[in-house]
Amino acid sequence: MALVGNIRDFGLSDFLYLVDRGYKTGGLHLKHNDETAILFFERGKLILASRKDEDRKGELLVRLGVLSAEQLSSVMQQMQQRGNGVTLTQVLLDSQLLPAEKLQSTLQTHNEESVYGLFGWPEGEFRFEQGQKPATDSPVMPVPVPVENLIMEGVRRIDEWGRIKDRIPSTDMVVKFIDQPGEKAKGVKLAPEEWRVFARINGRDTLAEIAQKTNLGDFDTCRIVYGFLTAGLVEVLKKPKPAPLTSSARGAQVTEPPRLKKSLVNRIINRIRGM
Amino acid sequence: MQTVKMVISGAVNAGKTEFIKAISEIEVVSTERRATDDTKLIKKETTVAMDFGRIQIADDLVLHLFGTPGQKRFDFMWEILSEGMLGLVILVDSTRPETFRETNRIIDFFVSYRDTPYVIAANKQDRPNAWSPDELRLALRQPPHIKVMPCVASDRESVKNVLLELLYVILQRSED
Ligand SMILES: Nc1nc2c(ncn2[C@@H]2O[C@H](COP(=O)(O)OP(=O)(O)OP(=O)(O)O)[C@@H](O)[C@H]2O)c(=O)[nH]1
Ligand SMILES: [Mg+2]
Repeated sequence: MALVGNIRDFGLSDFLYLVDRGYKTGGLHLKHNDETAILFFERGKLILASRKDEDRKGELLVRLGVLSAEQLSSVMQQMQQRGNGVTLTQVLLDSQLLPAEKLQSTLQTHNEESVYGLFGWPEGEFRFEQGQKPATDSPVMPVPVPVENLIMEGVRRIDEWGRIKDRIPSTDMVVKFIDQPGEKAKGVKLAPEEWRVFARINGRDTLAEIAQKTNLGDFDTCRIVYGFLTAGLVEVLKKPKPAPLTSSARGAQVTEPPRLKKSLVNRIINRIRGM
Repeated sequence: MQTVKMVISGAVNAGKTEFIKAISEIEVVSTERRATDDTKLIKKETTVAMDFGRIQIADDLVLHLFGTPGQKRFDFMWEILSEGMLGLVILVDSTRPETFRETNRIIDFFVSYRDTPYVIAANKQDRPNAWSPDELRLALRQPPHIKVMPCVASDRESVKNVLLELLYVILQRSED
């Protein structure tokens, strides 16, 4: 079923995280005023991103200067002859008209630029069609691209607190590496400022303390950590609970939920089961 | 008579009133027709102050369900309602991603400092375009040990299931 929403409320980087973690395959359709974009993913990775309909055809390769018009038409012919759902990319690779790396790097740069532009959209409706695949004659990247770097780049373009506050409500929170970032952490490229923050993460210091030590200021520190968060590298936690208040302290202090006896909880369970 | 308390929370229109109605023996709701703030765009009737439901467990034991008001202007009620609660159900309208951030704020409010047992109910699963529980878990960034249950608040069996899951979480933490 389609997932629909607006990137004003559920940001593009949030969506990329969902795609990544959920190993999603499908087409994400975005619309902002008269502009549209389509991103295709396969098992959580980007395979095609385009802002224009004509960029989803083989002619893109001619425009990007990696194929001549003649080469393209011969490739298209071969594609038709082979039929059977064979893709343009497959035929291109088999034809050895250009090295696979060249095809990959050209398309990847083009696709990434298309995605980066989308982070500037203040709002825009999205619809994710699960399982949808690009047309066979689309210039799909031979190697699907992980989305973490797209997320990091998107976050670099955030210039307002609002978005960040949702995830990092206060600079009193502690930053900690997540226990099992797995393969993820390997491919992420960080800018020098980001490394400064990255190196300070120790599971004890708060954002405010990191900002002070790196001299980066609260906003930049939080923005950078927000990027790490969104890419799934770190978590931010509330500071450990304050020590129990003495009886002289009053007011709405920290109250632990009451601990009940197992037998009592079981009585409630049995009653509700029987309803 | 001993009473125990559970809180049903979630953003405006998530289905809190519906949820409590589906299971409670009595119905105490306080609605008003003319909702304020942005609520009036979404619905005609919204809960003012709170919902209240009650389930008699035995002669000497009763379970109270408190639904928090969705509108922002009643946020001050949360603190009061959360006092002494046993556990928390967070309802999410799975068809409206624009409420996910608000949902996270609500979870944060209740779970910060207090280590409250909670489950998330991915409500309105009967509607087209509902995000699945797995998708909601990712969207809300909930860790794997937090239960995200499919839910249709108007269906009593579904509501029972959600409450039972919460009770199992509570059971794990209770003493022998
Ligand atoms: N299809 C469907 N509709 C539901 C479900 N749960 C609630 N609704 C509808 O969603 C609307 C909102 O439900 P309420 O129970 O009033 O929501 P609420 O959380 O109490 O809302 P506020 O009190 O205004 O915060 C109503 O029209 C319900 O009938 C569900 O599981 N499926
Ligand atoms: Mg209500």
